[in-house]
Formats: sequence, C-alpha cells, structure tokens
Amino acid sequence: MSSVVSAALVRSAIFLMFWVALIGFSFSALLVGCVAAGSATWVSLRLLPPTPQRVRLGALVLLLPRFLWQSLLAGWDVARRAFDPRLPLRPGFVAFRSAHAPGHLRNTFATISSLMPGTLPCGEDGNDIIFHCLDVGQPILEQLAAEEKALAHVLDEGTGDG
Amino acid sequence: MSQLLDLWSIVAVSAGVFFFLAGTVGLLRFPDTLTRLHALTKADNLGLGLVVLGLLPRVSSPLAGLKLVCVWLLVLLAGAIASQLIARTAHRSGPKA
Repeated sequence: MSSVVSAALVRSAIFLMFWVALIGFSFSALLVGCVAAGSATWVSLRLLPPTPQRVRLGALVLLLPRFLWQSLLAGWDVARRAFDPRLPLRPGFVAFRSAHAPGHLRNTFATISSLMPGTLPCGEDGNDIIFHCLDVGQPILEQLAAEEKALAHVLDEGTGDG
Repeated sequence: MSQLLDLWSIVAVSAGVFFFLAGTVGLLRFPDTLTRLHALTKADNLGLGLVVLGLLPRVSSPLAGLKLVCVWLLVLLAGAIASQLIARTAHRSGPKA
C-alpha cells in the first residue's frame, strides 16, 4: 500500500473518531461525519503530505506531564504579572537558533513553545526563530533549548515509515 | 468519595475561572498586541483546561468526557496557531498599541 493511501486511511479514521466524540453516535450524524472526515482528510493531505517522520508515542506520553506543568507555569506567570499593581513586564524580542531545519519539526516546536511561559514565536529570520518575550530578564534561550531537546526525542525525523 | 469529587470540581473550576480572569485583566492592562497575546493564549488555555478537569468527574458518560477533552484540545491547537499568526502579522507591521 502506498504511503499516501495508508496515511489517508489512518487520518480519515482519526477524523471520524473525533467527529463521533464531538457529535455523538447516530446514523444520520455519521453520514454527515463521513463527508466531514473525508473533506478534512483531503485538506490535511494537501496541507501536510505524509513524510517519513515517526512520532514515538511512548516519548510523547512522557512529554505530556512536562507540557502540562509548563502550561501551568505559563498561566501562573501571566496571572502574576497581570495582577501585580506594578505590572512587571520587560517585553522584547529574542532570536533563538533552532537546531531543526525549516519544516514540520520546527513548526511543531514553535507551536508548543507558544504555550510555554513567557515566549511567543512571531517570525523567522534565516535559521533563527524570533520569539517575543514577556520578560527578557528570564533565561529564555536556555529554556527554549531544553524544550527543543525534550521534543527531539518525540519526533524522529527521516526514519521510520510514517 | 462523591464529596471528594465535588471538592475537586469546586477547586478546579474555581482555579479555571481565576485564570480566565487573569487573562482578561492581562488583556486590559498589558501595553501592546504581543504582550496581550501572551495573556490570552496562556492564561485562557490553562483556565479552560482546569474547568474541563473539574467537570470530568461529573459527566454522564465516558463519551461526554471525551468530548470535553476534545474541545480543550481543539481550543489549545486553535489558540496556539492563531496566536502565532497574529504575532507574525503584528511583528511585521511594527510595534503598535
């Protein structure tokens, strides 16, 4: 089976399960769901063609507590600054040299880092990702490098069969 | 046991409401587009997550629980992507209030 066909089957099955979870299980809803899942699969194959990239599920599960903890810290960081009468912000831009080439892996990293404390990706400059930071006094580059390293264990570029 | 679950719901949903409030206060007080984006994405994602976690023990069926988690994941994904798109545009068009 070609990789596109197998990717299409897997993705449409996931979209359909998502539909059932959101809408509930009934015959008439399932008819609409099949059309929706089919369209979603078509769009996803156009926007994100299957690549020989493998997600290590075990490593992903290990990353989850870290991700949730970072989300908690991020929310707390914002709340602390928002409620502080002095409004302690030192906003600025930081360029982070990503170890990943432009593409899927780097985009995933940028998306995850947008949920991390104090960082928001807002552009690229060559090999650098430009981050907007709430407080440039924080050790942002070290923090980002640690996140990137943690994520590299989950996404395995160029090996495996998708 | 059910009292413990009630207590969990009260604590988690209240914490969720606190972070929604924090996100809104940040939206009003922070000085520009980019800092406001920080406030909205981070605090509101966490707030919604806590509300979902608080409601999970109260759902009538596992499917309803799955639905809550799916809604959270969709909002998380949409928030992360939309905030990046807005941030890119704001960064390109220069600093404005």
